[in-house]
Amino acid sequence: MTILLPAVHAREIDLHGESAYPEEGAGVLLGLIENGDLRRVRRTLPLPNRWEDETRTRRYRIDPLDLLDAEEKAEEDGLTILGIYHSHPDHPPRPSDFDLERALPFYTYVITEVRSGGAGESRAWRLAEDRGRFEEESLTVVPDQMEDR
Amino acid sequence: MNLVRIPTPLRPYTEGKKEVEASGATVMAVLEDLSLRYPSVRSHLFNGNGGLRPYVNIFVNDLDIRGLAGEATVMTDGDRLMIVPSIAGGSDAEALRPVDHAALRTNQAVIIGLLLAAFVADAPALVAVVGALMLLGSVRGRPAFAAIYRLLRSMGRLRPELLQDNPEPHRFAQLLGGVVLSLGALAFALGAASLGWGLTAVVVALAGINLFAGVCVGCALYYWLARVHVPGFSKSPPPGSVPGRRPTI
Repeated sequence: MTILLPAVHAREIDLHGESAYPEEGAGVLLGLIENGDLRRVRRTLPLPNRWEDETRTRRYRIDPLDLLDAEEKAEEDGLTILGIYHSHPDHPPRPSDFDLERALPFYTYVITEVRSGGAGESRAWRLAEDRGRFEEESLTVVPDQMEDR
Repeated sequence: MNLVRIPTPLRPYTEGKKEVEASGATVMAVLEDLSLRYPSVRSHLFNGNGGLRPYVNIFVNDLDIRGLAGEATVMTDGDRLMIVPSIAGGSDAEALRPVDHAALRTNQAVIIGLLLAAFVADAPALVAVVGALMLLGSVRGRPAFAAIYRLLRSMGRLRPELLQDNPEPHRFAQLLGGVVLSLGALAFALGAASLGWGLTAVVVALAGINLFAGVCVGCALYYWLARVHVPGFSKSPPPGSVPGRRPTI
């Protein structure tokens, strides 16, 4: 399980987390699946955090209609939604029990720690088939000049 | 027969298909039929009790079933059902709660006023009373002089200022103040008046820093103890705030 994240998109994810701070910021990762299970991110799409109350510092919610929209945009470009990224303000980039309870299979969940407003480490996770836990997915940031576009 | 649109993350369970057929008289019946046709999709649609998982949103002909009859919404032949997940998550820490900072500031102002009055009137007994009330307030989980705040509020002199915060560190800060004043009272009782007034001055100074600079030293101490995992100290500061400083949002 590997997800390749071009540096330009890694920066977009960091910036989104920083601009949303101290609230959580989230969006979707669009891309392609190659050779079985190698995932390559081609685009990020920031989405509004629609969690209803002030606890957006600890929670995020992506509206189904926003997600449907994103899915349609992905399909127009011949891409697929590989996963979801979100920030953990002042918390480590590992999924919480709350993340586990709400997680969907298949998606790669990229979590970025944003400490005191500055983006830190990002890690990728995927829900295990038995829904009982997350498995870490290898997250490789691809330097810009190596990106084959 | 109805067409069911499958969201990307569930397509691995429907042979990769974006749209599949299923039938039933209601939304629930269609989803049950879908789970019979593609058994591995079931655990991602339903929880252990047979209810829909919280992220599952169903639209019938582009209308959210929550605005219709929910899972009992009647399906007629040809109706198109869409399963669209809403994605949610968040970090581990428990959610913050609203804490009325106007009540905290009133409490600090009353404490400062009473302790200064005790010094001016040379009344160590008043120091003991304030300390005891602070301890009592901490045990009851409220500011010692909450009654005065409520009175001022009912007179329209003060308005609540609710900030998303943790109440525990404030309780701890007041407990700390109460303990220091109790030690001061003990010092007075043992005839060490200078020590008594010295400890009283510490509480006045810390309450003053909190009141005028918005820095709660006791709260900072609480967060530092939490950081080194001292049992009983579990909360971390609200995101974006320095330990002990008033939350910014």
